Amino acid sequence: MELADRAVGFLLSFISLSIFTYYTFWVIILPFVDSDNFIHNYFLPQEYAILIPVCAGVVLLCLLCMFIGFVMLKSKKKMA
Amino acid sequence: MKHVLKIFSLLLVISALWIGLLQASIMPQSHTWLLPIYFIVSLGCYGLLMVGVGLMRFPTCPQEALLLQQDIAEAKGFLKQSGVDVGCK
Repeated sequence: MELADRAVGFLLSFISLSIFTYYTFWVIILPFVDSDNFIHNYFLPQEYAILIPVCAGVVLLCLLCMFIGFVMLKSKKKMA
Repeated sequence: MKHVLKIFSLLLVISALWIGLLQASIMPQSHTWLLPIYFIVSLGCYGLLMVGVGLMRFPTCPQEALLLQQDIAEAKGFLKQSGVDVGCK
């Protein structure tokens, strides 16, 4: 049981660390590198650095509102 | 001081720093515009990291679990004796 917990915890922290390093590289280090360096092939164009977090935030907000509405509807149906 | 006041003052300091950085133009301007989004993403990352670390270090106490099961069996037996219906499970 605790092995599954530890595996999930490790996976979560690994994902968060990798996202953090990729995003730091993308936003902070890459603009200072010459534009014909080979490292630019591994990173998407810089507009996506803004688009992807904003889209993810909007999707998260939508999911949250849907969940709240769903729970409210279910509780109202149970009361009636 | 109340907690919300502390958070508010922290936000104020960070936004003042950001506007100062915009005006002083040490770094290129397009670079500076990305900073707030970067901080929000890194804050989300930090939260996820804390959740993962907490999951990894969660203590399970197997002896306490065993004692708890014994307590539950004892309580069930006693209540069934006294006539209370304990038919859960």
